[in-house]
Amino acid sequence: MSGHSIVLAGVEHVFACSDEQNVLSALSAVHHRAIRSGCHGGGCGVCKVKVHEGQWRRGCMSRAHVSAEEEAEGIVLACRIWPESDLVIEAWGKLPARLARRAGLLPCEADT
Amino acid sequence: MGVMRLGHVRLRVLDLEAALDHYTGVLGLLPVHRDPDGTAYLKGWDEWDFYSVILVEADEAGIDSFAFKVESEADLDRYREASLGHGVAVAECEAGEVPFCGRALAVTLPSGHLMHLYAEKRFHGKATGNLNPDPWPDGLKGAGGHWLDHVMIMCELDPARGINKVAENVAYFRDVLGFGLGEQVVAGPDGDVQAAAWMFCTTTPHDIAFGAGPRAGLHHVSFFLDDWSDVLRTADILAKRKVKVDVTPQRHGITRGSTTYFFDPSGNRNETFAGLGYLTQKDMPTITWTEENLWRGIFYHSGDVVGDFLGVYT
Ligand code: FES
Repeated sequence: MSGHSIVLAGVEHVFACSDEQNVLSALSAVHHRAIRSGCHGGGCGVCKVKVHEGQWRRGCMSRAHVSAEEEAEGIVLACRIWPESDLVIEAWGKLPARLARRAGLLPCEADT
Repeated sequence: MGVMRLGHVRLRVLDLEAALDHYTGVLGLLPVHRDPDGTAYLKGWDEWDFYSVILVEADEAGIDSFAFKVESEADLDRYREASLGHGVAVAECEAGEVPFCGRALAVTLPSGHLMHLYAEKRFHGKATGNLNPDPWPDGLKGAGGHWLDHVMIMCELDPARGINKVAENVAYFRDVLGFGLGEQVVAGPDGDVQAAAWMFCTTTPHDIAFGAGPRAGLHHVSFFLDDWSDVLRTADILAKRKVKVDVTPQRHGITRGSTTYFFDPSGNRNETFAGLGYLTQKDMPTITWTEENLWRGIFYHSGDVVGDFLGVYT
């Protein structure tokens, strides 16, 4: 088991992630608010990131949230990638948490 | 005459073998059949029809369709006419098109979800049999879920554009299928937006629920357990198997269920819950939750706002 560092754009803290750990679990261990944590199964799409630097392995992820074109550009779901080197990543897309603002039920107009 | 119960859900999974391991090993469902392409059919030990869950491999997670069992063929005819009269699209399916079922109706709900109605499905029997049975069978794995209890689907809601698929689904289930409205959440500045609903055809608070979101999808599928200690034991199993837990054991105000939530390996949310809540009958007045009390309704003890509980879904 070897360790890699994950740099998340806009966040000072550098995260440690082993190659047996998915990237989201390394980030959400400290509950970082710059990235959302959801199903951890590649199905809900809330943990979308763009990988700017580094190599990774992928698991299955839903095409409803990541198209083949996006994936080719390094846009992936953080819960379904495992680092094979140090990574530099950025949270991608609007954070749907805002959609659940207010009572957490009505979609927020400002976001749609 | 009428709709009897939720018959099955057809779930899309990203990795079929991982899903099968989850639904058998964690939920304790029993595998009954595989299609040549691998599609898997499972049932709860306490169910008598052939299956209640279909797992199909796909490149997206979520719910493909779900189905309710009605009492007779005549009900299908009746619901066909009534659906068309209500402006809801219905197609006829020949026997076998819905696997191991007789003739069926394919209904496209106002929310866009595909629902089948059927009157017959291959019989299998409970694991404990019908004659002088024991209260539970030996050899159950995981949570040992009794039966598929209910499904909650997410429906598009955008009051600014006049879209409320929750309310449209409620009207269809009430007016066409004769469901009762057990509980509802009303929201919006004037408290007139029906933002979630729990509806029943049996005598429990919900057989189907509708939640509001920016897009249609699946919120969760739920499996019944006997009591609170079974819910706690399920949570132990989740921890042992490193399953992604969403909500640790607690009580819902809405429906009064004891519950724990988690995700299958493709991110579809599962629930195991216990307690039949309370008796519902068609003449029971609907219970209403207002927007300020919504989270107390969802997480009764803490009342905490957990936006991801509603915002994360497949
Ligand atoms: S957390 Fe759901 S796709 Fe990553």
